[in-house]
Amino acid sequence: MTRGAPDALVALPRVPGLGGLYARRLVASARRRGGGGGGGGGGGGGGWTLPEVTYAVDDVRADVDHLTAYQHLLGEPATDALPAGFVHVLAFPVATAVMVRDDFPLPLLGVVHLANRVEQRRPLLLGDRLGVRAWARDLRPHRSGTQVDLVTEVAADGDVAWRGVSTYLAKGVRLPDGRDDGGAERAAFTPPVRTGRWELPADTGRRYAAVSGDRNPIHLSPLTARAFGFPRAIAHGMFTASRALADVGAARGDAFAWDVEFAAPVLLPATPDVRVARDGDGHAFAVWHARSGKPHLTGTVTPLTA
Amino acid sequence: MATRTSTAASDTLPRPAYVLGGNRIPFARAGGRYAQASNQDMLTAALDGLVARFGLQGETIGEVAAGAVLKHSRDFNLTREAVLGSALAPTTPAYDVQQACATGLETVVSLSNKIRLGQLESAVAGGVDTTSDAPIAVSDRLRRVLLDLSHAKTPQRRLKALARLRPKDLAPATPRTSEPRTHLSMGEHQALTTAQWGITREAQDELALRSHQRLAAAYDAGFFDDLVTPYRGLTRDANLRADSSLEKLAALRPTFGLGLDAPATMTAGNSTPLTDGASTVLLGSADWAAAHDLTPLAAVVDAEAGAVDFVHGVDGLLMAPVFAVPRLLARHGLRLEDLDYVEIHEAFASTVLTTLAAWGSDEFGRERLGLDGAFGTVDPARLNVHGSSLAAGHPFAATGGRIVATIAKELHTRRAAQVAAGDESPVRALVSICAAGGLGLTALLEAA
Repeated sequence: MTRGAPDALVALPRVPGLGGLYARRLVASARRRGGGGGGGGGGGGGGWTLPEVTYAVDDVRADVDHLTAYQHLLGEPATDALPAGFVHVLAFPVATAVMVRDDFPLPLLGVVHLANRVEQRRPLLLGDRLGVRAWARDLRPHRSGTQVDLVTEVAADGDVAWRGVSTYLAKGVRLPDGRDDGGAERAAFTPPVRTGRWELPADTGRRYAAVSGDRNPIHLSPLTARAFGFPRAIAHGMFTASRALADVGAARGDAFAWDVEFAAPVLLPATPDVRVARDGDGHAFAVWHARSGKPHLTGTVTPLTA
Repeated sequence: MATRTSTAASDTLPRPAYVLGGNRIPFARAGGRYAQASNQDMLTAALDGLVARFGLQGETIGEVAAGAVLKHSRDFNLTREAVLGSALAPTTPAYDVQQACATGLETVVSLSNKIRLGQLESAVAGGVDTTSDAPIAVSDRLRRVLLDLSHAKTPQRRLKALARLRPKDLAPATPRTSEPRTHLSMGEHQALTTAQWGITREAQDELALRSHQRLAAAYDAGFFDDLVTPYRGLTRDANLRADSSLEKLAALRPTFGLGLDAPATMTAGNSTPLTDGASTVLLGSADWAAAHDLTPLAAVVDAEAGAVDFVHGVDGLLMAPVFAVPRLLARHGLRLEDLDYVEIHEAFASTVLTTLAAWGSDEFGRERLGLDGAFGTVDPARLNVHGSSLAAGHPFAATGGRIVATIAKELHTRRAAQVAAGDESPVRALVSICAAGGLGLTALLEAA
């Protein structure tokens, strides 16, 4: 458990609110810009290394109304087990707190969620006292910038039951030893036979913001999204990944790995085509633009064996 | 297992349950003759027609079961209310059933089983649906606010609940025919299955035309005179196009499967339209039939339900009967070819054709049905002999009753002719109905 977590612990009294974290980071980046110096956007107070700290919050509990609202929005059955995407909602602000530190080398606003992996090792239940640990690791080059992993672990009774690794890309930010990671372009995507369609109304971002607390303006309205260069509001990546997980349904079992790679953002409103189907001993899913055939996200849900 | 004391009753049970007759109102197109009629209106009309046909005025029937797929919340006791409004004795018990398009057939199956077990002597099965008078609900958010408002005890809390309302919350939520988990309509789902099995436009149009021609011929021959009671000025199913032709059907534009790689083949002509209507079936034991001087038409022998995982694309939405029928027939040592009649509900012409294609496939028979090869074939002369839903229309819950009453009469007529010619062999029919949610219900009937 907590493999690879830095020893230096920063204990927070509670899970911070994402709104406050965003605001703090906005102020910080404005201040840094005002200070001049280091061009290229990266290299905060700590230079080009990740802060060697683990953030910790103990005794986190799910609220029943919050859980129900999440389950209804995502199409999860309203059981007392916490959906893996809901645990992300509960715990991820702790990782965000790492990203808003002055010595975190990448900007928070404008980073792109590239990929996400969650290992749900056993079910977490309403009423469980959850311990959250979060840290950053593996700052590395990407063909179009710099990427980093945010690791979040959630334990109950001292055992890690849920582990999430969220990979973010800061576009255009180049590490000093700026070599390319050599990573190939993604394989060309050919739309498969759809098994269904999602109907995502224009307020999808606002509705997920209400249950996730992630009120990043790019998700809220066309106006606020345009300020950040998007023609319309875009769906939260974790909303789309969690919808796909809900579509897999109970067949995912109690212990599973849930991997997703994000491609083109879903501009709202949208009715993308989806395929969620058995693949090997697990399930594979893909969500793509119905007309253009361009992928929004692809991923798998596979059983974890103890 | 404990030894059971034998009683007179258990020596003879289960006993046969018989279809004694049926009555329905002609089916109307949505927004047509029955636009102002409610589910309760139509079910009561169909029930009263049955009562009149069989002289059941003031009679207490063992139980009446019926249902509707699109149902107002005020209709929680739809069937009981229809009974109370009918000429049956008010002491007739009733209950509602809902199994999507299989609702009507499920009422026949469950009531027959009660008769077979000796719990009932008589029963009426039925179903009704209206898409013209469909329920319209308030939006989820408005409903939430109204509920919270009714629970709020102080003016402040009431104000707080009301403050959550947004103008768009006032837009009504109309019922949808798309699958809740896939958001694809039934037609869009069937288009995937049609493409998978390579069913041609020509084959679908031919099947649709045959449905219209056979239903028209049956009306012309007076076959429905004792099965259909005119209602609101309608004497035949309004969707019936006796003068349809392959040319007319070929001229229609495809409506489903437009975005697929395969050519789109499903049109308004080879798909069933939204329809309003109601049907009933009278069921009873041999004793009850004799006491009422009624002739059993056919026994409801057995039934088998099935379901498929269409959500994850394993099978097509409407393919559950493909799996249920082989199980049903295996229980009776029967092959598809042993059946004298096969009634496959025509949700779409291609639903019938993909079902037959799967049964005719060696590979599917081996890999999916666990058989040595193909399940079998159905001679078109035995398939939907008096037309089916493409011509008659398909008021969801009313279709099962329409098919059962029609084929029970046909079974009895055929058997009587055979016996008169000295042939005592059994005459059997299969009824197969696909339903939303990847469901299917199938039943085996044998001429009495």
